[in-house]
Amino acid sequence: MMTSTAIRIAELVPAVPPVPVAEVVEATSHWWAGFILWFPLISLVLCGLCAAFRVRSKLPAWITIGSLACSFVLTILLGNAEDVPERILLFEWISMEWLGGSFVANFALYIDSLTILWMSFVTGLGTLIALYASEYMEPDVGKGYTRFFSGVSIFLFAMGCLVMGDNLLMLYLGWEGVGFASYWLIGYYYRRPEAVAAAKKAFIVNRIGDLGLALAVYLIWATFGTVQYNELMTIIQSGDFSEVYEGWSVKAIPYLLMLAAFGKSAQLPLYVWLPDAMEGPTPVSALIHAATMVTAGIYLIARMYPFFLLEPASLHLVAWVGGLTALLAATIGMAQYDIKRIFAYSTVSQLGFMFLGLGVLTTYGAAYHVFTHAFFKAVLFLTAGAVMHGFAGQLDLRKLSGLRRMKGWRIVAWTMFVGCICLAGFPFTSGYFSKDAILAEAFVTQGPGFQVLGWLAIFTAFLTAYYTFRVWCRVCAGPVHYEPGDELHDDDHHDDHHDDHHDDHHGEHGFHPHAPRFAINFVLVVISVGALLAAVPYFMPNEVEGIKGGWVADMVHGSSAASGIPGHPDHPGSLSDSAHGDGHAHHGTILGMDPHSAMYYISGVVGGVGLLLAFWLHLWRRQDADRLRSWLLSRAWIRWLPVAMENKWYVDEVYHALVRAPLWLLGHVFHAFDRYIVDGLLVDGTSRLPRLLGRWFQPLQNGLLQSYAVTMAGGAVLIVLMMVLMMQFFQGGAVQ
Amino acid sequence: MSWLLILLPLAGVVAVVLSPARMAKIVAMLTTLVVFGVSIAAAVGFDGWGKGTWGLTGSFDWLSRYGIEIQVGADSVSLVLVLLTTFLMPLAVLGSFTSVRERLREYYGWLLGLEAAMLGVFLAKDLVLFYVCFEFTLVPMFFIIAIYGGANRAKASVKFMIYTFTGSLITLAAFLWLAWSASQAADGAWTFSIAALTEHAVSGLDATQQGWLLLALLIGFGVKVPIFPVHTWLPLAHTEAPTAGSVILAGVLLKLGTYGLYRFMLPMCPEAVVTWAPLIAVLAIIGILYGALICWVQTDVKKLVAYSSVSHLGFCILGLFALNPMGLEGSILYMVNHGLSTGALFFLIGMMYERYHTRDMNAVGGLAGRMPIWACFMVFFVLASVGLPGLNGFVSEFLCLIAAFAAGDMGAYPGVLGPWYAAIAALGMIFAAMYLLIMVGRIVFGPEKLPPGTPDEELLPQDLSVREITVLVPLAVFCIVLGVQPWIVIDGTSAAVADTLAVYEPILGQAKSAVQGALVGGAP
Repeated sequence: MMTSTAIRIAELVPAVPPVPVAEVVEATSHWWAGFILWFPLISLVLCGLCAAFRVRSKLPAWITIGSLACSFVLTILLGNAEDVPERILLFEWISMEWLGGSFVANFALYIDSLTILWMSFVTGLGTLIALYASEYMEPDVGKGYTRFFSGVSIFLFAMGCLVMGDNLLMLYLGWEGVGFASYWLIGYYYRRPEAVAAAKKAFIVNRIGDLGLALAVYLIWATFGTVQYNELMTIIQSGDFSEVYEGWSVKAIPYLLMLAAFGKSAQLPLYVWLPDAMEGPTPVSALIHAATMVTAGIYLIARMYPFFLLEPASLHLVAWVGGLTALLAATIGMAQYDIKRIFAYSTVSQLGFMFLGLGVLTTYGAAYHVFTHAFFKAVLFLTAGAVMHGFAGQLDLRKLSGLRRMKGWRIVAWTMFVGCICLAGFPFTSGYFSKDAILAEAFVTQGPGFQVLGWLAIFTAFLTAYYTFRVWCRVCAGPVHYEPGDELHDDDHHDDHHDDHHDDHHGEHGFHPHAPRFAINFVLVVISVGALLAAVPYFMPNEVEGIKGGWVADMVHGSSAASGIPGHPDHPGSLSDSAHGDGHAHHGTILGMDPHSAMYYISGVVGGVGLLLAFWLHLWRRQDADRLRSWLLSRAWIRWLPVAMENKWYVDEVYHALVRAPLWLLGHVFHAFDRYIVDGLLVDGTSRLPRLLGRWFQPLQNGLLQSYAVTMAGGAVLIVLMMVLMMQFFQGGAVQ
Repeated sequence: MSWLLILLPLAGVVAVVLSPARMAKIVAMLTTLVVFGVSIAAAVGFDGWGKGTWGLTGSFDWLSRYGIEIQVGADSVSLVLVLLTTFLMPLAVLGSFTSVRERLREYYGWLLGLEAAMLGVFLAKDLVLFYVCFEFTLVPMFFIIAIYGGANRAKASVKFMIYTFTGSLITLAAFLWLAWSASQAADGAWTFSIAALTEHAVSGLDATQQGWLLLALLIGFGVKVPIFPVHTWLPLAHTEAPTAGSVILAGVLLKLGTYGLYRFMLPMCPEAVVTWAPLIAVLAIIGILYGALICWVQTDVKKLVAYSSVSHLGFCILGLFALNPMGLEGSILYMVNHGLSTGALFFLIGMMYERYHTRDMNAVGGLAGRMPIWACFMVFFVLASVGLPGLNGFVSEFLCLIAAFAAGDMGAYPGVLGPWYAAIAALGMIFAAMYLLIMVGRIVFGPEKLPPGTPDEELLPQDLSVREITVLVPLAVFCIVLGVQPWIVIDGTSAAVADTLAVYEPILGQAKSAVQGALVGGAP
């Protein structure tokens, strides 16, 4: 029963996508949509002018906040106005035509519901986080302040290109653009070697992913002759295409896209840059490295989903990589002490869940988790930032305690609590619903070992609940106790100003944390309310009968992310796998129950247990945590586990040994080869030949008459010989 | 108009030599600006944009008995490179105002002479003028390096001179043989017109003869580009040359090689090119990766940028030998873009050197705090060089790679390369990010580090002057313009490129439409 009725990916392959890509309108009425992109660009230019005129006020922040807010408003207006996908041409970029072919990649927008969904939280959170940053970055006013906000503007522009672009090349532009913005902002504290190294690492690791994207673009163009979404989708839908390159081109495309997605969204094996990216200012971590940019990989796969459906094995790989990354990152996150790093690893882990969702055919689940995660992870980072801001850079959770009892810190403590329950997937929070949508689907969809993967993911959810509340219990609950950090969060590039800050920050004696003020608190409250409200769409009615998930699901299903998802060919309306209302008979089961109902209980219980464990070890009996650690460390057979987890499974070291060191060595070998063999031996050696020849003939000119006579005779003989030979040669030639 | 372009700089040489030393730079500046203005006027008046035709022609009877008639003129491709040259020259002059302090008249004289020679190469319509100018570029450059260069200038200049001269001698032999062979075919009527000789080479030579011709051209132009095993003069010459010398060397002189390949090798020996293109592409790919990895371990910033040219020009060659419109357009764009971004990087390094008298990344670093404007430009041009989309480098790199990718038996294009060539070459994108960002990470960012012996705080050199910013801004503007509106070059040269490729159609078959090609198989 189960096998015959469950959705089997393998069956999808030949199936022509049942739902036509909606008519694409070449719109002129929404010409103003371009301003969603132009506003951040205008802000960038204005920030540049601020820098040129050495503005020493908060003006750059207000410019950025204002323009991002305008972008947000336009996005919402566009979302209300848009009902069919439309293309809006801004200007021509690369457009070539020649006899028998063309390559067109214009600066054009492709607006469909997926675009709107993504842009709404990108611009919305962008505005709020810029507002937060206006206070957070205050100590840098007149110094790096402008640089920071121009970086945010670049980021929003690039992210807009990535999400709204009408073709793969524009996506690529945004893709590398956000990578650059991330480089720019991670390296914000450019005096600090770790920040510079982290920025470099982020850019280079991302470039490996970009290589995959570039090759995918080449391959897609070589196979389909276009890189524009609507044309690609039409061709795929028609089924009128064939493999080139001996039949591997269409099969290879999803794997290359996957490489790109894994780079940008920090999955195995390319996740290593994201934890290091926490060197950037915290608003950046919240905006770029948690809420928005890192979800670009999910967007890419969702946008190009039909390509993945053509090669189902690729989706299996996506699911497994996502599931394993989620587990690995969760185990590392458990054993870290730096709050931001824990949140960073939890981001990697949650992104893994999203990929798992994509892999098990619930693009809705993945997108919904992106949406909810954007809110609650932003809250978590922003609270961590507030703590860092107030405690002179202190982020070690062993050195902070009892925040919720301190005056002025209650909002931070409780908004962090909201973030934590959502992340932990506590029942009836947004994270609970979005995660369940993914977990349940792992049991519904059939694939290699998906059942195992589902249980692994449930175990990961348990770990998530544990490490999330480990942070909260340590930092916000318990007795009041704190040690200031050893640095100001801004002391890096103007050492000469130490004295100015002495009063409010430094000194062992009389350190008093300065609590966040209005902008930070306001943003924290707004976003955490958003994080709670993000659960609401789950209960909202859908346009399509029998689907859960409200407008989020509708938006995902109205785009290319859904097209081709099978379901009921005769029932094009409910095209989605996740179009399973309650009680449909065609599902797999867990423990004899419908996976979706079962998951409500399982993940609720798992989350609760993890939470209780965290409360026990980190609030009620903190000494037990230390005892547990020393117990583990003293047993030889288990000792490796905590050590490996604390050392992040040595992945960085392995990469260093396997990739960087050999290349470095090769570079030196090539350099030596170039210097001594190519240049030294071949070039300089050749150039010495004339001199050597000269030396060789030198003895002939020795001034002795007899030897001249001998030489002359010899020369004459030589000439005669040559003449004879040449005559024979030419006669032979003439005969022929 | 073409004559004017070549003769004006020569007149400038006379003026510079006659003027007092302190006026030399002003005269040179004015001359290069006038030449730039004339070239703009020529470009505006040129009616060959988007067409394959020649314009701005002129001729001068020299030794008509031997068919030596000096012909000048430009098609859209050469005009693009003429504009690159005339655009870079005023900047090079302006950039040398403070770095060159002695023997000024001589210096600016050589620079202007160099400009005349370079313009002569791009504007030549016959082999004699081409070759004379091609060789004559060596002389001013030799003196610029030998007199105004760094510590190792003697060795660098001699090596530069002899290496490239030897290479081009072989090309000269090939040209002479070609002309002789053409005259044999035409009953002793000599001609050195490039168009006539090209026609003869295509129709009159068999595959083997074309192969030899290709080899000879490859040696001469390959040294100039430079292609992998014959590149070792370049790091030395670039490193030792004065700033303006490096800029011109990277910006224009290297393009003489790629222009030569485009103008002579592709049209003249199609049969041989089709046979040997994979090999040349492999050399280009080796150059890309090998050069990039060597860059990675450099400590001398200037040498790093010099080796990066070896790596970058590999993409340009790869695009050329993809033998399809995208590749050729990408390659032409690459010539321009590399001139802009690498030229700018040399300027920036020169500005750093003027202040701290070192190019060693171990000795100097973290200059962003001290020179924020310089740091901004540095990051900007590094990104242009890395190929960040939206800036110029991306478009050309992308076109070269996608062209190589699609050119193959089974690809969208008939051609002799294929996906693997592009895939391996594309690794260069990662390496480029590695070495350039490491350079930025060390000299621009990180803790501040100044070389020993740097004067006191008050005496320390300041951020960029207005003059230096004036040098960099035009380059930056064009990096953005060509990154966002590359059609300026692409549309202008498309017809000329199509004409060049027409000769390959009978050999490779017609380009099939990618979509049609894909549709042939029907539904799976």
